[in-house]
Amino acid sequence: MLRQRKLQPYAFIAPFLIVFLIFNIYPIFLTFYFSLTNYSGMGGIDNATFIGLDNYRRLITDGYFYKSILNTIIIWVGGFAVQLLIALGLALVFSDIQLKLKGLGFFRTLFYLPNIVTVASVSILFSLILDWNYGSLNQLLMQIGILNQPINWLNNPAYAQGSVSVINTWMWFGQTFIILYAGIAGIDNDLLEASFIDGANWWQRFRYITLPQIKPIMLYVMITSLIGGLQMFELPQLLTDGTGSPQGSLRTIVLYLYNQSFLYNNFGYGSTIAYGLFFITVIFSIIIFKTMYADQVKEGERR
Amino acid sequence: MKYLKNGFKLASIASLSLLLGACGEDKPDLTIMSFTDELQRPIDKFEELHDVNVELQIIPNESYRETLQPILESGEGAPDVFTGEIVFMQQWLDANYWEDLSSDPYNVDEWSDDYVDYVWDLGKDSDGNVRAVSWQVTPGGIYYRRSIAEEVLGTDDPKEVGDMMSTMEGLMDVGAKMSEAGYALFPDEGSISKFTSAFGANEEPWFDEETMELNMNEQRLSYFDYAKELRDNQYSALAPAWSPAWYQSFDGPIPYNLGWDELEDAEGESTIEVFGVALPTWALDAVFKQEASENAGDWAVTNGPTSYFEGGTWLGVYEGSENKDLAFEFVKMMTHDEEFLTEWVDETGDVLSYSPVTDKVKEDISDDFLGGQNHYEFFLDEADTIDASTVTPYDQQLNDLFGTQVGLYVDGEITKEEGIQAFYDEVNNSFPEIITPDN
Repeated sequence: MLRQRKLQPYAFIAPFLIVFLIFNIYPIFLTFYFSLTNYSGMGGIDNATFIGLDNYRRLITDGYFYKSILNTIIIWVGGFAVQLLIALGLALVFSDIQLKLKGLGFFRTLFYLPNIVTVASVSILFSLILDWNYGSLNQLLMQIGILNQPINWLNNPAYAQGSVSVINTWMWFGQTFIILYAGIAGIDNDLLEASFIDGANWWQRFRYITLPQIKPIMLYVMITSLIGGLQMFELPQLLTDGTGSPQGSLRTIVLYLYNQSFLYNNFGYGSTIAYGLFFITVIFSIIIFKTMYADQVKEGERR
Repeated sequence: MKYLKNGFKLASIASLSLLLGACGEDKPDLTIMSFTDELQRPIDKFEELHDVNVELQIIPNESYRETLQPILESGEGAPDVFTGEIVFMQQWLDANYWEDLSSDPYNVDEWSDDYVDYVWDLGKDSDGNVRAVSWQVTPGGIYYRRSIAEEVLGTDDPKEVGDMMSTMEGLMDVGAKMSEAGYALFPDEGSISKFTSAFGANEEPWFDEETMELNMNEQRLSYFDYAKELRDNQYSALAPAWSPAWYQSFDGPIPYNLGWDELEDAEGESTIEVFGVALPTWALDAVFKQEASENAGDWAVTNGPTSYFEGGTWLGVYEGSENKDLAFEFVKMMTHDEEFLTEWVDETGDVLSYSPVTDKVKEDISDDFLGGQNHYEFFLDEADTIDASTVTPYDQQLNDLFGTQVGLYVDGEITKEEGIQAFYDEVNNSFPEIITPDN
């Protein structure tokens, strides 16, 4: 009787489990099998040759793969740093109990708006703005005399990566702002009042109260942004018609994976890249969890 | 125990019904998948003719291949008839997604004399069996403005203008004359690639399908130099293909920013008008008539230094279709039905590949948009000179990789040598089986 009852809960999670097994676990193993073959994505997997670890051998010596990791990280770091600074600055201003800014609801909506626009529309919008000869950015910069000659933003590696970082910042700072603001608003007022009484200045309050208090939130923002960043695909794909040009500087890991799998018919190798990405994600996750865990140990020691 | 069993049953039924929820609708007699809606009218006619229910599923061009290929690969939810584009078609032909139409009961080999050679040949898999047929030809030419030709070249006659541009040197001479008169030859440098490396333009294939050796011949390499020449001599208007400025350049003068320093004398504003552009048959409707019709009647079309083609839609019967007879009937109507295709020409102006119809109509066609020119005969003549054997399965991908490097070179980001090396590296990475000259 007891044994039966123990089984019952499984019946209830079965719907989820079955769907999860079919749509998540099975593809993961299938992808691994593909990665051991030279499957082209066409003509059936049965006609593909099993080539063992050849794809993995190729992957660890593949300069394009490392370049794609580097590109992804550069674009992510650039975007994330700026976005965090802007969002944190705005969150501080809006949550300052001395400033008492009005219209939070309005600004919150305004900041969040870019995030609602689909990536496809954003890419069209920015390809028009960034257009070399007819884009409004170059026109503007030349009108006010900053530039003498138009810059071909999307045909120079550094500018192109910078542009994508800026677009990402524009799209995501509202989201980050909302989360950080919630974190700051959640700080116990007693702490702040105590700091006023002790005569702490703005910087001291920020450094010793706000920042430590929102650290878990910052970590959350960082992890979610990192996961999103590692999977960056649509924007570089749409901005460059899938080429990842100039000089491969917008070829992110997932774009590389996609092109190898679908454009160049190296489905087996594409699967290997997917596992490479998986491995990178694992490494980053370990680093992040270690950092979290290290903090907990320290806190425990203090007590 | 019973309780538990029921629990399991319930749960599995619940999850199964979740999975199967979408099924169970009325199945049409025939499902057709394509990337445009142009098949809708033929389908309406076909439904009427055979009293059947046909469903057209349109998958946007950008994701057509990526969406359809897994479906064809697994067979789940596959159509009965589907179209393919030249960009990936040869790969599909050899993946056996389409039924072999050379075999019984179709025996389409009997039709071969009725079609333009290159179109017919491109529908064959590597064993020479026909798997897909196309109703149209899509060769290209140079569309140009008659008034500008008259002013600068002294004639607007397509034949005479075509003679002037029948070699690369001649084309560049025309560019120089245009430049002197204040016009740009082409909107962008990409136009020149149509005559160096586009589909069917080069005398030799990109690579040898036996030895897999990449063939970087002089004609392809010349794209670097001609593109640079176009940019440096300001024969192009810096309006990249398919950009808003590019469309605008067909309607009238567009702003031109190169050398901003010099323009300060000209009070910061300068414009340039474009003489012509290299585009295929379908651009007449899709680009000019629909998007840039300001100068209707002032256009004409003529030849460039080489013949080439761009795009084109083939269709065939899905190898796993359960209704192959009916599916083939549709393919037949679309590609081999004199009455239907004659109507189709009247309605769409499409340049057909099926000679029983084109022979009949080609002499009487004239297009007001092109100043009354008979573009039909011109395009059919161009199509006849195209040799399908120079087309490889990866032409589009190789041209894209190559064009990217040329673009960087023209912008001064890299040297020509760096561009060529980068191209070889990209090819080695994308197509490990192709051997590049540097290896």
